[in-house]
Amino acid sequence: MSAQPAIATSGLSKDYGSGRGVFELDLEVERGEVFGFLGPNGAGKSTTMRLLLDLIKPTSGSARVLGLDVSTSSIEIRRRVGFLPGDLAMYPKLTGRVVLDYLAHLRGGVDARVRDSLAERFDTDLDRPIRQLSTGNRQKLGLIQAFMHEPDLLILDEPIAGLDPLVQQSFHALLREVSAQGRTVFLSSHTLSEVERVTHRVAILRKGRLVVVDSLENLRKVAIQRLEIEFSAPVDGEQFRALPGVRDVKAEGHTVTIGFEGSADAVVKAVAAHEVLAIRPREDDLEEIFLRYYQAGGTP
Amino acid sequence: MSWPTVAITLRQRVPATLSASIGMIAVMLAVGALFPAVGHTIGKLHVPASVSNLLGGADYGTITGWFRSEIAVIYGPLVIGALAITGAVAATAGEEEDRILALILAHPILRSRLIAAKAAAIACVVGTIAFAIWIGLIVGVAIGGGGITLAHMTALAIQLAFFGSATGAVALAIAASTGRKSLATGVAAAVAILGWLINSLAPLVSAIGWLKYLAPYYYYAGHDPLAHGLDIPGLIVLGALTLMLTAGAMISIQDRDLRA
Repeated sequence: MSAQPAIATSGLSKDYGSGRGVFELDLEVERGEVFGFLGPNGAGKSTTMRLLLDLIKPTSGSARVLGLDVSTSSIEIRRRVGFLPGDLAMYPKLTGRVVLDYLAHLRGGVDARVRDSLAERFDTDLDRPIRQLSTGNRQKLGLIQAFMHEPDLLILDEPIAGLDPLVQQSFHALLREVSAQGRTVFLSSHTLSEVERVTHRVAILRKGRLVVVDSLENLRKVAIQRLEIEFSAPVDGEQFRALPGVRDVKAEGHTVTIGFEGSADAVVKAVAAHEVLAIRPREDDLEEIFLRYYQAGGTP
Repeated sequence: MSWPTVAITLRQRVPATLSASIGMIAVMLAVGALFPAVGHTIGKLHVPASVSNLLGGADYGTITGWFRSEIAVIYGPLVIGALAITGAVAATAGEEEDRILALILAHPILRSRLIAAKAAAIACVVGTIAFAIWIGLIVGVAIGGGGITLAHMTALAIQLAFFGSATGAVALAIAASTGRKSLATGVAAAVAILGWLINSLAPLVSAIGWLKYLAPYYYYAGHDPLAHGLDIPGLIVLGALTLMLTAGAMISIQDRDLRA
């Protein structure tokens, strides 16, 4: 790892008024890390990413990317960064191939073989007008353009949005390869479950302020997992309440939702005493995670 | 200059530019064909001076007056101005509002270079339409029986090209500095239309006579290129205005926040 972090912000703020924006952000992302940047919608994740790419200017504070100052070396930074915007848009009347060619020309030095192998990996149709593509297929194009020049740092805003599970697996595999090569990934999401398979560390942003930066392992310790279990017949939910680690139980007809922390072993074994039709994981609640994080004595 | 940006911007303007060019040629052929049958019959309209001025003299009895009133005063600048404004706005504030610009500017390109490339593409659009107008004039006037020199027809096409470029540059400057599509379109269109109105009415209302010097339209049509040929001072003003506004656009976008 290089001495210079991939991303370092110091008191970085962007104040849009009425409490909107990002405030006093002090963040360091090490090289080679896959770093999850979490927060509910409107927390300031996209604003932070736009600040790092000099698309918007900070109200105060500073940021360095790959050791370079964002405000004075933005061209060099953008040369070495791949970016996927959260609200990706491309020229709708043009084909993916034409747009990728254009973006490759803007960058220079893009190996067409890398682009083609990414397109193959994500099973992307490059020859249809972008307006005819589904959200997921447009997102694949966005991923290809972000990865095709093999950047030192990837800044990906909600990269999994719209991707089907198979493509998500390909994407996660790609992230692992990128990380193994010593390159850095900074990706945002509004749920922990989307990033937990690939990230080393996670930061949680709330109302524009950084509230937690910790390893995934520590966050998992305080995160409540929820399973929605559908039985073949109505089941009394109270029998699960006394199980070790169970925090809340909600029963509605044939379905019981159990929230628990730590190991799922006791819950799974108790549930197995009944005929189970389906088990579905429920999305984690970030608000709950950082409230519990503080209760557990974590240090943001 | 980012040539890939010039190319991709032009690529998106091709359908509108081609259809406008073909449409202009078709209209001018029709105008030329109508002159022998209709022009002499109408002659010079006896209408109030204000109306006459708005119609470029309303002299339909001569082929120069016919083409001035039918093409040079309203239709030509309207089409070339509309294409320049919509092209300039779509390529800048339009892409910004559509969130495309955020992706483009995450690549290693200076904003000023991007705007220069967009301006060059719009100049190509304007040049193409001016060329089509020139071709349409030559053929249309020939069909109408001739009577306008090639130099004067060329002068009209060149003055129109400079007018279109200046009008597009107004739109480009506002779009680049604000990122607001509707504002840029509205202001640029207002400058063009008010310019036509002021240029037509200024001779009748001495109090607003000086205003015509503020309008790009005056430097296009004030000298009547179909009758008197190229107006070099007018071209210099329009060219300088275009360059200054384009430079302003390149500077103003450099340090502002992208809106989307």
